[in-house]
Amino acid sequence: MSRGHKKSSLRERRPAFYAVTPCTYNHSRRLRPFTRPETMEGDWLDELRQPRAGPSFVQRARDAPDDDDAIIRDDFGPAVIAQEDAEETSFQQFIRHWMNERHAPDILPAQEDLLARLLDHARKQANDVKLLREHPDTSEDEHFRIMLVQTEVERVMFVIRSYVRTRLQKIEKYARYIGMTPEVHERLSQGELDYAQQYVQILDTILTNAVLQSLPPPQQGLDDKTADIPPMIQGPDKQRPVFAHARQACPPVRLPDGSTMEMEKGQISLTPYYVIEQLLLRGEVELV
Amino acid sequence: MALPQSLMVSVMPSELELIACEQLVEIIPLVAMEKTAFISGAYGPLRPPARCKVPIWIATNLKLKKKCHIVPPSWLNIEYLQDRLSRETTYPEFSAMPFRFAEIAKVLLDVASDDFQNADKIRSLLKDIREARQAKSREGLTKLDHSELSLPNLSSMEINEIRPHFVKGMESLVKLVKDPEGRHMES
Repeated sequence: MSRGHKKSSLRERRPAFYAVTPCTYNHSRRLRPFTRPETMEGDWLDELRQPRAGPSFVQRARDAPDDDDAIIRDDFGPAVIAQEDAEETSFQQFIRHWMNERHAPDILPAQEDLLARLLDHARKQANDVKLLREHPDTSEDEHFRIMLVQTEVERVMFVIRSYVRTRLQKIEKYARYIGMTPEVHERLSQGELDYAQQYVQILDTILTNAVLQSLPPPQQGLDDKTADIPPMIQGPDKQRPVFAHARQACPPVRLPDGSTMEMEKGQISLTPYYVIEQLLLRGEVELV
Repeated sequence: MALPQSLMVSVMPSELELIACEQLVEIIPLVAMEKTAFISGAYGPLRPPARCKVPIWIATNLKLKKKCHIVPPSWLNIEYLQDRLSRETTYPEFSAMPFRFAEIAKVLLDVASDDFQNADKIRSLLKDIREARQAKSREGLTKLDHSELSLPNLSSMEINEIRPHFVKGMESLVKLVKDPEGRHMES
């Protein structure tokens, strides 16, 4: 095999890889209402295993020259170089959002684009793995690389699942609050919003059928607000303390005791959530 | 339940380990491997005996299959840790350690102890450092108030360890300040 031949074959194949736009994956579709997380995970994996849009890998493999033994190699060309230069890869970014979501008492804005990009990438890698594994010409050395790629796909999927489950848990917990608070809606994806609404509906139905209908009407309310008693609809507790880690120098924030705090880069503070909420939304701090 | 109860309150050490394993470490490969595109970037090519930087999870994977040696990070050796331990015991504040040192040290010592000069000594130093720092963070609990507590140089594993007590403690202080008569204590 000559070098020139290989190079030109790579160049020929490139357009096929770029033909697939990175953000076509509609993650909101994943969050189907009434679907238990377990089933959803199944769906995701199915999705991963299915052939993706665009020129299929099989087709590309068929068209590839016989000596082509490096399909995973540098399919991502310039994107990869950009990632190496950047301080945070998109997976690390996502890990940061995952941890923020885990620690924050409130529901944070959905990272739909980032999630779509990662899912797309993971799906592509999983597809490559599947095809290469089935290919009889794959060498022993190649199998080892496939194993590494597969391992990474599983790591990424683990984080994605945990992220979505964390959000689902908050959505279920605050479903009624979400229904009443339009400001929260823009922080949810369409699928999550539908899920929250339908969750409230089912809950109302079962509560009515099981208990409420046999109670006198004044006691049937699910949203009572009486003085001296905690309200029935609970929103996120923004007073809950969180550990914030400053990613850069932050503008001053006002603390509950009246003083102001200016976080320096790298500073770690334990403080109520509402104090650093704006810093967190702007990405100036992360929760650890 | 969308998320198990145990995961709602805190993060598992194994999850912190997963995050830490994204960091890069130097290895001396024993097998050749082409440059490979991963989701987090392209790594390789591996050309023994040239050193190469890969994420820790790749390094441990290769190490477990005896396909590489791991070069310990600059802070994971006896001199550095000895120095930190003496600072830790002399000064009242936490000395600067890498944010995820506990996770990384554990992973590397677990799979690649033969790549360290004196793994047992390193382990015992790490343990001493951990105990010295733990004593300080317990003391820090007395400084807790309702508004803010600065924790310079605390590492991720240590934060996770003190999280339940500190969060609970501050939560109670917040409620006491907001509502001194305790009428809404249970809200």
